[in-house]
Amino acid sequence: MKKRLSLLGLFSVLFTIFSFGQVESEAILGVWESGSGKARIKIDKVGDKFNGRIVWLREPKDESGKPKVDKNNPEESLRSKPLLGYSMLKDFLYKGEKIWEEGTIYDPESGSTYSCTITLTDENTLDVRGFIGVSLFGRTDVWKRVIIKKK
Amino acid sequence: MIRLQLASLLVVFSMTLFAQESDTTVVEEDFSMYDDAELADGAKRFCTNKVLDQSPNKLISLGYDFQGSHDVSFGPWGSLPVSSLRVKSAQGIRINSNFPVVSRVNVLLNIGVNYWETNYQIESSESHPISSSLQTRGLRTTGVTATLFKPLNEKRFVLIQSLFDLNGDYFLPDFQSLSYTRVSPTFVYGWKKHDRLMYGFGFSRTYRVGEPNVIPVFMYNYTAPSRKWGIESVFPARANFRRTFNTRTLAFFGYELEGQTYRMSSLKGVEGIANPELRRSELRIRMTFERSIKNFVWLSAQAGLRYPWNFNLDDGNIFRGFGDTPYTLENDLQNAFYFNLSVNLVSP
Repeated sequence: MKKRLSLLGLFSVLFTIFSFGQVESEAILGVWESGSGKARIKIDKVGDKFNGRIVWLREPKDESGKPKVDKNNPEESLRSKPLLGYSMLKDFLYKGEKIWEEGTIYDPESGSTYSCTITLTDENTLDVRGFIGVSLFGRTDVWKRVIIKKK
Repeated sequence: MIRLQLASLLVVFSMTLFAQESDTTVVEEDFSMYDDAELADGAKRFCTNKVLDQSPNKLISLGYDFQGSHDVSFGPWGSLPVSSLRVKSAQGIRINSNFPVVSRVNVLLNIGVNYWETNYQIESSESHPISSSLQTRGLRTTGVTATLFKPLNEKRFVLIQSLFDLNGDYFLPDFQSLSYTRVSPTFVYGWKKHDRLMYGFGFSRTYRVGEPNVIPVFMYNYTAPSRKWGIESVFPARANFRRTFNTRTLAFFGYELEGQTYRMSSLKGVEGIANPELRRSELRIRMTFERSIKNFVWLSAQAGLRYPWNFNLDDGNIFRGFGDTPYTLENDLQNAFYFNLSVNLVSP
């Protein structure tokens, strides 16, 4: 009976630790607004990686009234792809201490892809630092969590 | 019994993981559900420091500047006669940097370090003390630039910039005394009307006319709805018409008023001058072509006319303003063709 209890206790502890780690790594999930307020990005988890898709644009149409597409992409075949739904954050891994690394961020306005580190500075704020090679050569954009109103 | 409990735990684990995978499966979404939203905790939104398609910030710039041949005339100065000489060239490297050191939603601070030099090739340079000094020592500027952008809300902002420059005929690494640091602050209060237009009014204490002056400034950055052209200007310092071919190829036509006052230690005592300051200012009317040559490395090629605004000598860093206090020595430069080439690492 004692043996059974101690095994149950051990698994409970492991389960709690595992769940807590998951909760912390998933604190990034949700919908965020970029610093410029031009876009909202929904961050999801697929496997152990975190990706973010554009789900809202302040100006969703181009000058001809058509939905905006990724016209600045260096790959010609992708230039007709709609920006809404576009995956601009890719392959982030949770590294502990509220930091997600090893991913990339795509800037549709320039068509450039940068290395990127994301830091959760509080539960509703992300520091998204895009950089070239080393973090020094970069810029930080601050994203805020948005609350979607129920219709 | 234990086996059963272990199996149950594994099932719970699997279900948890499975549930998470299911939650994140990408499905066709109705994006309109994201239209009506507000920032968590009632956070404020702030305007950004650029308009759409504005030329990229250059983190590091390594450049070379060349002015072609032109004449220079030195006016009468004490016992020295009027003298006219031929400047074969004036050229040198220009290194600039501009790093964002604070990037918050409600404040941006950039710090940069700059080093410029101008080396002169003058025929018969030994015939006049100024040309001799320019030929043997040249002119140098080493400085720090700090730019603070403070958005007040989504529509209004304050921009404060200050330049701290050491200009003179010194050689590196022997800087001149820091007491000769020339400070040029600028203050602008502005409005960002939308993503393609921002403007502001302010004032600047500047050396762009070669000597200290306080002038009003008007900042105007605009991109047309077609996004094929725009304007980037901080009048009267510079104004550029921008043509955007694509996000990696830009062309500009415009001008810049460049100027500084240079501490000429080599002239100290010549004709009794105690604090020689060479007032150098030039209007550069030019075409610029910028293109990304590989990812974040951009090439910038600029060419145009260098029109001389000021090349006079003062005894001391006196504030003349728009008054007519005479210079110690009045000089004339001719126009010259110039070009500038630079390789730049641009910011994300």
